[in-house]
Amino acid sequence: MSQRNSYAVGTGLFIVLGFAALAYLATQTTSVANTHQGASYTVEAHFANIGQLKERAPVKIAGVRVGQVSSIVLDPKQEAADVKLSIDQAYSHIPDDSVATIFTSGLLGDQYVGIQYGSSKRDLADGGTLARTKPAQQLEEMLGKFFGAGGVADNLGGSYTVKARFGNVGALTVGAPVKMAGVAIGSVAAVHADPVKLDAEVELSIDKKYDQIPDDSAAAVFTSGLIGTQYVAIQPGGSPEFLKNGDEMVLTQSAMQLEDLIGKFLVNGSPAEKKDAPAGKQ
Amino acid sequence: MSARPQRNVITNALAQIGEAGLFLLTLLAAVPRSLRYVRETVRQLWFVGAMSLTIITVCGLFVGMVLGLQLYYVLSIFGGTAASGTVVAIAIYRELGPVVTALLFAGRAGTSITAEIGLMRATDQLAAMEMMAVDPIAYVAVPRYLAGLIAMPLLCAVFCALGIYGGHLVGVTWLGIDNGTFWSNMTATVDVWKDVVNGILVKSLVFGAVVSLIAVYQGYTTPPTSEGVAYATTRTVVASSIAILALDFVLTAFLM
Repeated sequence: MSQRNSYAVGTGLFIVLGFAALAYLATQTTSVANTHQGASYTVEAHFANIGQLKERAPVKIAGVRVGQVSSIVLDPKQEAADVKLSIDQAYSHIPDDSVATIFTSGLLGDQYVGIQYGSSKRDLADGGTLARTKPAQQLEEMLGKFFGAGGVADNLGGSYTVKARFGNVGALTVGAPVKMAGVAIGSVAAVHADPVKLDAEVELSIDKKYDQIPDDSAAAVFTSGLIGTQYVAIQPGGSPEFLKNGDEMVLTQSAMQLEDLIGKFLVNGSPAEKKDAPAGKQ
Repeated sequence: MSARPQRNVITNALAQIGEAGLFLLTLLAAVPRSLRYVRETVRQLWFVGAMSLTIITVCGLFVGMVLGLQLYYVLSIFGGTAASGTVVAIAIYRELGPVVTALLFAGRAGTSITAEIGLMRATDQLAAMEMMAVDPIAYVAVPRYLAGLIAMPLLCAVFCALGIYGGHLVGVTWLGIDNGTFWSNMTATVDVWKDVVNGILVKSLVFGAVVSLIAVYQGYTTPPTSEGVAYATTRTVVASSIAILALDFVLTAFLM
């Protein structure tokens, strides 16, 4: 009898211990620990771009968590994401002209919705809408702005193609922007090596709007910033004739290779010397 | 049921899987009959579960500690030691907890189940039970199977708790990662359904069902010789380990 009791008690203890461990892990080490169970109210916000925002992402005011994202759906009528925010009832005095912004915590962190208070006297009500929002900043866009690259979207159909030959295209890839005066006017449609002339033939797809580029303009492969992507820059010439579809640009300047530059710098001390300047191909 | 005819490796493995599957049906059919032996199930739960706690706690602690140490070393290269809480928790919940617990369970409890039933078979105790109108499946096999099924998730939960404590011990207490970031990063990332429930409950329940089935089946069908019991015990460990690791891949692919 006593022996049976001992193992029965031990088994009971074991089961209790196991479930206690499970309950502890499930509640204390998971995101459940962050989700409030109290009463909450729901407000809507429409974002042009939600980035990587996920459901159950935190909603923060002044950096303090006040609720979470309860649902994200695409608005069927317009190109906007309809985000429902579930905010703790304790924080019910949010001005109705507050601004909702999608932030990223740190460089690699998750995204969350931050609310900055407006100045309105009226509070945001349950079911209300935050009219003023700022979309998520996409890293690519920021880098694009930073390096001045990646401006225009592909303009399918409304473009014409010209060719340019380069002695060296460096790391130029298909899709790289074509710029004039620093503004993107098209993109690189194809890059391939010419088996006969042993140089690179690049097809530039330029927006039809820019159809008054002189046919003696020069094309050069530049790099945006120190570590940026490469792009094709068009420097307009003075000819009265304009480039047409299928034309070839005769004046080109190849990509600068960092190794070449450093080599010239070390050997000659004067990279700007005429005979060493990258040969404009004729 | 005793000596199997000689077959080649693949047909033999297939035949064993098939026989084990049929044996599982026999076991499940006998569950209602074994309800009157519930005390025996509790005794087995004590033996395979509570008695395994020592090895599970010690191993869980050490697995968590070594994980904390290795992560600190790697993450400090990137200056990201604050993420070690997240990685410890996710690695333990998703993989190490269920898999290592199941492997330890197969070695600690599976072997003794096989050896015990195998010896009962070899010494004709099972035949004697049948003669006394006691169903050996309901009295011997089912309680051990159910005990293994119940014990595995509980052991896994204990293993995970100790593992996270071990990771915390090394990372925070010894190596000086900030306590707050350790926990807040963990709670921000770990998901209760995808990580805790999928790992501890789903995976370890499946592992418990498979390991217990292999152990009981090998014991029940062992050749009634001392050599046969030895082989059956070895086969339990080998088959369980392969089944655990293979099923782990399949389950992970499904639960991702």
